[in-house]
Amino acid sequence: MPQQFLAQGEQLQVPAIDFAAVLPILIVFGAASIGVLLEAFLPKHQRWSSQIALSLTGIVGAGIALAAYISDAPEGGITTFMAQGATTGAIAVDTPALFLWGTLLALGLASLLMIGDRSLEPGGAFISQAGLQSGGLQTREQANVTGMQTEIFPLTLFALGGMMTFVAANDLLTMFIALEVLSLPLYLMAGLARRRRLLSQEAAVKYFLLGAFASAFFLYGVALLYGYAGSVKLAEIAAATAGSSASDTLLYAGIGLVVVGLLFKGSVGPFHTWTPDVYQGAPTPVTGFMAACTKVAAFGGMLRVLTVAFEPASWEWEVPLWLIAVISMAIGAIFGLTQRDLKRMIAYSSIAHAGFLVVGAMTLTEDGLSSTLFYLLAYGFTTIAVFGVISLVRDANGEATDLSSWAGLAKRSPLVAGVFTFLLLALAGIPLTSGFIGKFAVFSAALADGNAALVVIALVASAVAAFFYLRVVVLMYFSEPAAEGPAVTVPGAFTTAAITLGTAATLVLGIVPAFALNWASAGGFVP
Amino acid sequence: MTPTYYLLLSALLFAIGAVGVLVRRNAIVVFMCIELMLNSVNLSLVTFARINGELDGQVMAFFVMVVAAAEVVVGLAIIMAIFRARRSASVDDTNLLKY
Amino acid sequence: MPDDIAASGGLDAYLPLVMLLALSFGFAVFSVAIAPLVGPKRFNKAKSEPYECGIEPSPQPVAGGGRIPVKFYLTGMLFILFDIEMVFLYPYAVAADAVGMFGFIAVTIFIVAITIPYVYEWARGGLEWD
Repeated sequence: MPQQFLAQGEQLQVPAIDFAAVLPILIVFGAASIGVLLEAFLPKHQRWSSQIALSLTGIVGAGIALAAYISDAPEGGITTFMAQGATTGAIAVDTPALFLWGTLLALGLASLLMIGDRSLEPGGAFISQAGLQSGGLQTREQANVTGMQTEIFPLTLFALGGMMTFVAANDLLTMFIALEVLSLPLYLMAGLARRRRLLSQEAAVKYFLLGAFASAFFLYGVALLYGYAGSVKLAEIAAATAGSSASDTLLYAGIGLVVVGLLFKGSVGPFHTWTPDVYQGAPTPVTGFMAACTKVAAFGGMLRVLTVAFEPASWEWEVPLWLIAVISMAIGAIFGLTQRDLKRMIAYSSIAHAGFLVVGAMTLTEDGLSSTLFYLLAYGFTTIAVFGVISLVRDANGEATDLSSWAGLAKRSPLVAGVFTFLLLALAGIPLTSGFIGKFAVFSAALADGNAALVVIALVASAVAAFFYLRVVVLMYFSEPAAEGPAVTVPGAFTTAAITLGTAATLVLGIVPAFALNWASAGGFVP
Repeated sequence: MTPTYYLLLSALLFAIGAVGVLVRRNAIVVFMCIELMLNSVNLSLVTFARINGELDGQVMAFFVMVVAAAEVVVGLAIIMAIFRARRSASVDDTNLLKY
Repeated sequence: MPDDIAASGGLDAYLPLVMLLALSFGFAVFSVAIAPLVGPKRFNKAKSEPYECGIEPSPQPVAGGGRIPVKFYLTGMLFILFDIEMVFLYPYAVAADAVGMFGFIAVTIFIVAITIPYVYEWARGGLEWD
């Protein structure tokens, strides 16, 4: 047993902290804290502009710090926040972590631009005061009041910082804290829509209750693994699996509960029930942020946990995860066909994609890791751009997300329809898009690992899912537009930039994916 | 004083909480059940710390307490907002939570 | 660990505890005894009511089925948040000498991080009752 207690008068050694390595996280959290202070002291009319400036500076600054660190990062990665006498630290800064940080910061930037946009809806997509009653007079007034709840910016930054910590967390306690730091702001952000208040609030309540439920499962798993291994460090759990005298029940139950918690966050398979409601109810920029960044964070964390901690017990969880991947792909592909609402449809599409990602995450080879990382990058950019385009098509009641109102859109706005078609093809995985490269890489890695049956099922699921993407494309091009259909709003600079970023990344990653694939495969997890 | 009993108690409390979340329809009660689950985890952590003869589990329980408090605040704020929106101070009227 | 303490210093180790006990007991007796002697004596109807504390007890709210107004939740929530955060100061207080300057700086950063939302709450009127 390690020496836990200090003798009288003994000094604790300062834990080793590599500040340069974690600087991006510190910058994001610092900017978020300053954002809270700005909210406290600035008069209302100055808040939006200063929050936008601060948040963008924070994210770009974190990106610069990340680039500076990558340029001379130590080979193989490091762990930091290492306590006295410990072998690994609480935060691992290795190639996957750096890759995911870069992905999260880029996606966070795009989301932030969409969140900050005020051109589509006067005053932005968010209510000016969350406590206002909905329905009746006040809601109608809300639609015309130009202020917005600028707390959304610090909340976004806190969530982003939590996600960055989550993908780098090297012990389960840090992971749990990061999970909460990323979830709690998202629960609030889901309830801040300016239009359709009741739907938005209901989405927030559902997301919160189910999210907290899943967190409790994750946490109980952490406790059981702590009982099994005597430590919550991922590496020590793996070491304990090889030779611990504790009951294996603790290990299996612990792994099961922790993985269920993570699968929930990634909106996988049978743990997806919150996804359609929350995607539909939340304000569209927030949905984009949630769909792209949360997925990256959840699967980043899952990759690390499965590889570093649970790899020695892999024969135990392979079959359940296999089943979960199949269920998730099936649910996403089949229920996606029956949806009438575009945001709900994309939600089911994300469940299908989560199934594909599980296929990659359970492939514990080098190719499996790098292909899953690439898939996350590609999927994130495409999804952000999809939600950006969805926020453009509006009628008098705000966004027109019903499928019927998208009929004949190509005749009204060929450009928007063209971009949306391209993005849907990327989600379907058609060649020359990033979606194809991602699917190809993940499936060939799984095939090389001997999972042929799963790959066949995944290909069938992709084909079924491709049908409902194509249905929207056909609807946009070959239907007559409705007489009083929605108009395509001309977006301001922010949303244009976000959509352009997402679309360009989808195209570039589809044509010249080598640079991203090389970076993703530059190294594995630090043990 | 077998520590195993505490683990069993904790598992029981966790199960009661989980079942409560699934069968109750009142948002506040569901929320209380989630808190029960978190606190049963605390009991587990402290018991394992005792079994392992170290303090890590107790420190983790601190973190869980703080996270649970933050969750309470966020959750109650959301639930409060939705009750105001429905113009009802009574929590029992809400039956929109059909998951 | 109580065994170690007892072995190192015997019952002397409990002396501060006994003193604290005596001090708190003395303070309680003093407070109860001094109030009737020095306090002003003004009687009114409210003071003879149950739960007397100088104001007339308000009836339970009838609206909403006799429930507590929602603003109590808000205050309660804010209290819980800042109250529970303080739990991290206990381990520091116990080990303050062992963790040295590093611990002090860490705790200072923690307190600053707590102060930021407090300032926000105060500036935005979260502490005002009406």
